[in-house]
Amino acid sequence: MRRNWPKAWATAGAAVLIFLPAMFAQTAKPAKSPAAPDITGVWIIDQFHPALFPKGTTPPLTPWGEAQFKKADTLVNDPNLACLPEGIPRIMAVPLPMQFFQVPDMVLIYIEAGNQLRQIHLNRGHRDDVGPTYNGDSIGKWDGDTLVVDTTGFNEVTWLDHVGLPHSDQLHVVERIRRVDHDTLVDDFTIEDPKAYTKPWSSSQTYHLKPGWEIAEYVCDNNKYIYHTDK
Amino acid sequence: MNTRRLLSFVAVMAGIILLSTPLFAHHSTAEYDMANVSSIKGTVTKFEWSNPHAYIYIQAKDDKGNSVDWTGELASLGMLARVNWKRDTVKAGDEITMYGNRAKDGRSVMRLEKIVFASGQELTAQVR
Repeated sequence: MRRNWPKAWATAGAAVLIFLPAMFAQTAKPAKSPAAPDITGVWIIDQFHPALFPKGTTPPLTPWGEAQFKKADTLVNDPNLACLPEGIPRIMAVPLPMQFFQVPDMVLIYIEAGNQLRQIHLNRGHRDDVGPTYNGDSIGKWDGDTLVVDTTGFNEVTWLDHVGLPHSDQLHVVERIRRVDHDTLVDDFTIEDPKAYTKPWSSSQTYHLKPGWEIAEYVCDNNKYIYHTDK
Repeated sequence: MNTRRLLSFVAVMAGIILLSTPLFAHHSTAEYDMANVSSIKGTVTKFEWSNPHAYIYIQAKDDKGNSVDWTGELASLGMLARVNWKRDTVKAGDEITMYGNRAKDGRSVMRLEKIVFASGQELTAQVR
């Protein structure tokens, strides 16, 4: 039997047209994987702790780290006094709100402090063509209900906390960000920096949800202090 | 380029632009005696509505009746707005009492917890 080719093509074309939206829908990446927990919203730290390490103690500093820490003076040479970024993990410990977004391939954190946008890339490895930078290169992956963020590629300008814990360009920060309940987010992080510390150490920050809050403008237009890099 | 890719591209570009702008000089509370709250009463000479901190300048009197200038440091403008502060909340000439944590090094500077106007109206400076 001779086939009716025009009719066959018309049928095939109609099928393509019918299924086209479904085909595109399947190839378009979802905003986040179905299993990824929702960590969107405006969050703020529960309590402001200037020091990341338990009060009155310091992490295991190397002689180099010790020397850097002795030079730190919050009124004189805190890089933040010069309107420089806090870097990681200090930016996650500033007592100002942050808004988390989950978009294709990234978790974005819009931070009120300096109106910085932190990017956590979900579907790639570390780039070797950038840095050193203030915030490093952050990549993340979901481990069950936890977003594991790995950051490297830092310069040596920033402090780890508000009292002057130092780091070098060998800093490697691993954060485990988890929404423990509807209103609570926890960021457990581990600091590894063989130049500044003899062994890795860990600390944690807790945040609570601020429904209805919006991130405000924050332009550093009033520096009261003078930054002396030679002190 | 589909919509999701476009959104992703815009987000990345926004990040690059935002991370390349000047930031801010928020500093720690380490310079203040956070364990004690004291008060200073005086007349406002200036209210500075600025980031990273707003400031109230007052002229007060010491024990001997001499004029002493005090500075009250406030939070950032975004945080102050969340507890109903505006750029004209405090005006030169207002009589106020500032409550807060004094600088450890003896400077006439205090990190403000709240202010109280002559009328008795209180205004918190902290977002809880």
